[in-house]
Amino acid sequence: MRLVTVLYLGYLVAPIALLFVGSFGARWTNTLLPDGLTLQWYLDVLDDSSFRRAFLTSLKVVVATCVIDTLLGVPLAYAIHSAARRGVRVAARILTLLPIAVPELVLAFGFILVFSSDALPWLGSTEVLIAAHVVVTLPYLLSTLAADMSHLDLAELERVGDTLGAGFAARFVDIVLPSIRFSLLSGLIMVAAISIGEFQISNLVAGFLNRTYPIVLLQAFYGATGFACAATVVLLVLAFLAAGGGALTARAAHAR
Amino acid sequence: MTVRFENVTFRYPDRRAGVFDIDLEVADGELLAVIGPSGSGKSTVLKLLAGFLEPESGRILIDGRDVTGTPPRARHLGVVFQSYALFPHMSAWRNVAYPLKVRGVATAERRRRAVDALGKVGLGEFVERMPATLSGGQQQRVALARALVFEPRALLLDEPLSALDMALRAGMRDEIVRVQQDAGIATLHVTHDQEEALSIGHRVAVMQAGRILQVAAPIELYDRPVDRDVAAFVGQANLWPGSVQAEGRVRTALGELQCATDGFPVGADVVVMVRPESVLPVEADSPGPNRFLGHLAHDRFLGSVRRYDLAVEGGVIRGETRHRMSLSAVRIPPEAVRLLPEASR
Amino acid sequence: MVRNRVLVLLALPAVVFLLVFFVLPLSVLVVEAGADGGSAFGRLWADPVFWKGLQGSLVLGTAAPLFSTAVGYAVALFLARCSERRRTALLFAISLPLTFSGLIVAYGFILVFGRAGFVTLLLAEVGLDPAVVGGLIYSPVGLGFAYSYYLIPRVVMVVLPVVLNFDHAQIDAACSLGASNPRAHLDVLLPQIYPSLLTAFCLTSAVAIGAYGTALALVGTQVNILPLVLYSKISETGTDFPAAAAISVVLMGLCCLVVAVSEGMGGRRKVAARARG
Repeated sequence: MRLVTVLYLGYLVAPIALLFVGSFGARWTNTLLPDGLTLQWYLDVLDDSSFRRAFLTSLKVVVATCVIDTLLGVPLAYAIHSAARRGVRVAARILTLLPIAVPELVLAFGFILVFSSDALPWLGSTEVLIAAHVVVTLPYLLSTLAADMSHLDLAELERVGDTLGAGFAARFVDIVLPSIRFSLLSGLIMVAAISIGEFQISNLVAGFLNRTYPIVLLQAFYGATGFACAATVVLLVLAFLAAGGGALTARAAHAR
Repeated sequence: MTVRFENVTFRYPDRRAGVFDIDLEVADGELLAVIGPSGSGKSTVLKLLAGFLEPESGRILIDGRDVTGTPPRARHLGVVFQSYALFPHMSAWRNVAYPLKVRGVATAERRRRAVDALGKVGLGEFVERMPATLSGGQQQRVALARALVFEPRALLLDEPLSALDMALRAGMRDEIVRVQQDAGIATLHVTHDQEEALSIGHRVAVMQAGRILQVAAPIELYDRPVDRDVAAFVGQANLWPGSVQAEGRVRTALGELQCATDGFPVGADVVVMVRPESVLPVEADSPGPNRFLGHLAHDRFLGSVRRYDLAVEGGVIRGETRHRMSLSAVRIPPEAVRLLPEASR
Repeated sequence: MVRNRVLVLLALPAVVFLLVFFVLPLSVLVVEAGADGGSAFGRLWADPVFWKGLQGSLVLGTAAPLFSTAVGYAVALFLARCSERRRTALLFAISLPLTFSGLIVAYGFILVFGRAGFVTLLLAEVGLDPAVVGGLIYSPVGLGFAYSYYLIPRVVMVVLPVVLNFDHAQIDAACSLGASNPRAHLDVLLPQIYPSLLTAFCLTSAVAIGAYGTALALVGTQVNILPLVLYSKISETGTDFPAAAAISVVLMGLCCLVVAVSEGMGGRRKVAARARG
């Protein structure tokens, strides 16, 4: 077990380490490791207008996705949690399984069929791109929230709130929202992480002018190694930040 | 304020379980304990009163008014949950102040009243603490203060002590009684612990299979249970089937017993109840009625008392004594024998 | 306690949203595939590219999860014996790939295992032909190896809680009754946790079958797997849309089937599956 784990950790770390190394290396062709140390690749990425534009588009999409996910997901998770019916439970379970049961590529093709039609000619708009991200990320937020709601025994807290005189609105604001604040935060961090790295659906749904960062990144793979590494590391660092933020949230939630 | 159940019946949708024809009254300032084995429906009674469940038929009256259809928040009842259900994100005083907040009491005033209520349960120094940093007993007190701070019309306690250590329970029991007396409100206390019920209840209702078997003061319940089930559930008891042989004489598997047979005709089938503490160890050759010879089948030393099973011809007699001598004969005083009907229903 | 009407109102926005942006696209897709009485499926049946893609996807959807489940199981067993602190730290590292874009994985693998990759050149030192070794990750097997990068963490997340919940005293008990240590694991541990292994296998299999991002970045559209066949069909000009829709339906059906098998086989556990690629 130990040997497998050690080998596995090597397999896990090697690509990440080499991406970092490559992004700082001046020249790297057919050698074990690159020669020279430079920040030029990062400056190049920063200088590249299509990367800048894509990065801003991605930020816009991430923020919008998080906001819409919250507005749609919190009420839905609460409704699913409160309606303790079997049918609702099954529906919720199916919803959490959708991301793997329906490949993003298939969904993307569905988007193409629907939103390039004459009735709904929205394909390529940022709105449809955001909608696609919301569909892809919403199940993760839902399952995070639902797990926390049943873990906290929110139903019991609400019952006691009821006996103390709190109506639905008061309970929702005073009990439900504060109780789920950590899981909402960690769910949104996960949503942001998925959204920023999302490629499979964006690649087919985004228009040329609102390409997201990963789509532009793919083009860079066919260019200079250092440039591709630096551009990838940007995405990698964001993923690390999200993971770190998630861990801190989990710790804070644990300490409550 | 009083609480009344009138012929209340409730059935759970997917099972035959529920409660049936419940008639119950809790007077102002009275503490009524409801006991019964798990699944007997005692928690259902509490949920019906609190408004989490609605009766299928019958009425529940609080202070003479039918509360059917009234949501829990409008019933003004203080409920203490088994899990305490403190809000984990609010400090102790904010928990206690919450019912005042939703009733629109100004912040300064509700803090004053919450701190006051916490002081009454001995938590004056803990007002700013978060629930997770409080011990089980302290959480229990916060829950109690929270349930009482808004001067509810009645207090409902759902197995409030079951999550506490044995050692803490006795103290908390006294605390509940003290706080309840202070508040002077009708209280429904649901528990599966008969000792708890007998020690703090003004009256005790015994439930089984969704029905109330008996409602009586603790001493009466112990001394004069209405039937075999109540006798078996409340305290220890020797219970032998028998039949009335003649005026003052009952035949059992152990032999003939002398006792009062008031109210039972000759030939009637009865259950003979003898509490173990009234079984008296005697010398083997001592005279008198209801004397049994045998040998010790079990002998348990429990500290303040010794509980033994004496195997006699035809059965076993369980007794309790403070004596530590060897034992081969017991006497059952005729006045300690109580006859119960086979079934009260 | 909360009236049903309120709950319906709360759920309504999300439900409408999902109807428009999920149910509608998929429905249109199915209708498109079934247009002309399903003749598109007939064209697929006759198309060798489709069959090769299906075959490739099935191989990939079996090999990658098999490898991932084996490694993930071993890692989970190791983690279960670590101290709590160490486990938390390792889990943090292991769960990193779950939020990685599939593109990061692709380029990272090119750097490590590509034709001029770190490991490829290292192996060349001991006499292995870099052209052969470096070509491996561009084959279906190599693709499975790359996919495992984000499949293994998924396996660990599913299996670890079950292994942790397992009462280790049972192994001790089996040993005290005369079983050898491996025997005890085989007889006592494995029967209790195999449902979670099956769940992990199915979930990772569905992900491997449905994903295309990593594959596209690594090999373009040259490897025959179903998602890439579909992708090239969609991006071609003058596309046969009904045929592409038919492939979509097959692909989706395959993934749903695998997920359904996992659910049916006792996957009562809550698994928020990640489907990155």
